[in-house]
Amino acid sequence: MVARYSIAIGFIIIFSFSLHLFSSSFDEPTVGDQSRLMAVKMKAVKAGTTTEELKKIVLDANKKDDVIAIAGMQHSQGGHTLYPKGILLDMKPYNKILSLDRQGKKITVQSGTSWAAIQEYINPSGLALQISQSQSIFTVGGSLSVNAHGLSIRNHSLIDTVDSFRLLTAKGEVLTVSREENQEMFPLAIGGYGLFGVILDVTLNLTDNELYEMSSHTLQYEDYPAYFKETVLSDKNYKMHLARLSISPDTFLKEMYVINYALAPHQSKLVDFLPLKREPIVAIPKFFLGMSRINDFGKRTFWETQKNYAKKVQGKLISRNNAMRSDSVFMEYTNPDKTEVLQEYFVPIDEFEHYLDDLRSVLEDDETFNLLNITVRYVEKNEEPLLAYATKDMFSLVLLINQGKDQNSIEQTRKTVQNMIDVTLAHNGSYYLPYYGYATKEQMKAAYPRSEEFFKLKNIYDPDHRFQNLFFEEYGDEH
Amino acid sequence: MNIKQFVLYQGAVGMAASMIFPFYILLLRDVGSSFSQFGWAYGLFALTSALSFPFIGKFADRIGDKQLLLVYSWGMAVLLILFPLAYEIWHVYCLQIAMGLFGAIQKNSEKTVLARAVSKERAGREIGNYHIWTSVAAAIAVIGTGYLVDFLTIGSIFYLASLVFAWSGFFIMKAGSTESIKAGNL
Ligand SMILES: Cc1cc2nc3c(=O)[nH]c(=O)nc-3n(C[C@H](O)[C@H](O)[C@H](O)COP(=O)(O)OP(=O)(O)OC[C@H]3O[C@@H](n4cnc5c(N)ncnc54)[C@H](O)[C@@H]3O)c2cc1C
Repeated sequence: MVARYSIAIGFIIIFSFSLHLFSSSFDEPTVGDQSRLMAVKMKAVKAGTTTEELKKIVLDANKKDDVIAIAGMQHSQGGHTLYPKGILLDMKPYNKILSLDRQGKKITVQSGTSWAAIQEYINPSGLALQISQSQSIFTVGGSLSVNAHGLSIRNHSLIDTVDSFRLLTAKGEVLTVSREENQEMFPLAIGGYGLFGVILDVTLNLTDNELYEMSSHTLQYEDYPAYFKETVLSDKNYKMHLARLSISPDTFLKEMYVINYALAPHQSKLVDFLPLKREPIVAIPKFFLGMSRINDFGKRTFWETQKNYAKKVQGKLISRNNAMRSDSVFMEYTNPDKTEVLQEYFVPIDEFEHYLDDLRSVLEDDETFNLLNITVRYVEKNEEPLLAYATKDMFSLVLLINQGKDQNSIEQTRKTVQNMIDVTLAHNGSYYLPYYGYATKEQMKAAYPRSEEFFKLKNIYDPDHRFQNLFFEEYGDEH
Repeated sequence: MNIKQFVLYQGAVGMAASMIFPFYILLLRDVGSSFSQFGWAYGLFALTSALSFPFIGKFADRIGDKQLLLVYSWGMAVLLILFPLAYEIWHVYCLQIAMGLFGAIQKNSEKTVLARAVSKERAGREIGNYHIWTSVAAAIAVIGTGYLVDFLTIGSIFYLASLVFAWSGFFIMKAGSTESIKAGNL
């Protein structure tokens, strides 16, 4: 009897201890090809940890006439890091943090560094990133190459925060690129999808880590643009913002909730919120997301759960660094026949209401399209990169879509996505390029009026197409 | 203990083991980065098993099958809660070595219990019957877990399986000696 009790207690103690450790240490995300829609046989995977090694890889490729596809964490979903028989240049090992200038608030890192690693490095100095995606799982090089944007409403997109970088060109030369030096490469390599050279080390401008107070509201979509402009954007205390649109059949694309991050009144409390947050146990959101994949009942439940969750954040305090490393594990999805892909559309703020009406009519008759989540964020106008997506102040809508991996399902999704992009373009919008290349060439051209110039310059700077990927082959190779 | 209890026990531990088996490859995928590391992880498992069989065999006759099953159940219960914490390849190697040892204990004990329980004349039918139920349990576990991973994280599956092993540990503690098992009654 005693033995049984002591074993039971011993086991419970180890079990809880492990669970505790597990829930608080789940920090490192899965890496690898994430959408699993494309499998491409490449010739070799190469990597380097110094400029010289990387240079040699490019020079060797020149000699042997190999093409190179550059890869970070490979979260892009349209073959941007892949090319058949090409050399995959894995930038992940090129990940040293080179210097931090605390006074000047600047950091220089090698481009394979992840946002998470930078956050860990700068958090003790009271500094934070100005811009990153909502999650911190990406590499700096991959993020620069798509000109990422995130929750912050007080900066434009990532390009805005880049001071300078070094670029390894197709000829094997290393250029320092900034707005003053080799400035023609600045708007090409940033948002350049790995086509203009290997981004080596990058100097980024940082900002102060701050304490934010979260708030949330539920509202109807037609009230959202005015709410956002009048309540959020015009009040300088608001620093970050996101919203979600209902995917529940009853309130489809009508009901919304918003989450705001405003500067907290007592910044002195920041010390209590400094430790970088670990991924919490994700079983619950993952469970409801799992239900929403199955049917309308699941979608209703998921939406209600999300709304309740949003209510709970009211008044919660969070540091800027923690706000910029939100959970991602609940999205890890392991069904072998299906996958989850993202799409992102940008529409001018004033078009939002009518845009959603049109989008709703496209999607409402579509039985097969399995939409799981829509997140809305704000991106300020920024036309600096050649492939600029925010030609006005815009809302971005990120759609999470569950789809089969067989050809049939891909074609079905293609049709729906092309319809959605048509609607987006009709509202002077644009779409984001890192995701699966469902868009037609014409749609790409319409969304990115300067793409022709971009591809022409690609041919001038890299006439042999040393840097290649499936994205370029699909949309640019005729030039 | 009677044969029904033994089948229940084997069914449960078989279920728990099959629950994690296909998915722990996914864990290796996160931790290990090359196929040679995969090879090593599995190789170490097999190697430890091979090296431990002679000792396990001797122990089985000296201390009895029940004690070994007890070691297996509790060993696995604890081991599985360590898996979600592994984040370096050498962690996985260590766990694999322990898995190899416990795997060998289970393999050997399952056979020694049966060997002592069946009658020579009807051994074919009796062992066949025994396998029906344990295989059904394993099949259910694999298929069921396939659905579960859509909802839970891989980590939670290890915890779940560990709980099943802990239960089996108690079950064996409470149950009588395995000597009394007669396979004929199934
Ligand atoms: C779950 C999820 C959430 C996302 N959330 C956001 C978000 O909130 N905001 C947002 O803006 N985007 C978001 N994205 C898109 C994401 O920002 C891009 O896919 C980004 O490129 C991913 O970075 P990565 O390190 O995985 O790059 P990869 O996918 O590996 O590479 C992307 C591109 O960059 C090139 N590249 C990579 N490294 C270098 C380098 N060192 N030099 C030159 N070229 C290089 C590659 O050739 C490729 O063309 C999200 C994507 C996913 C899957």
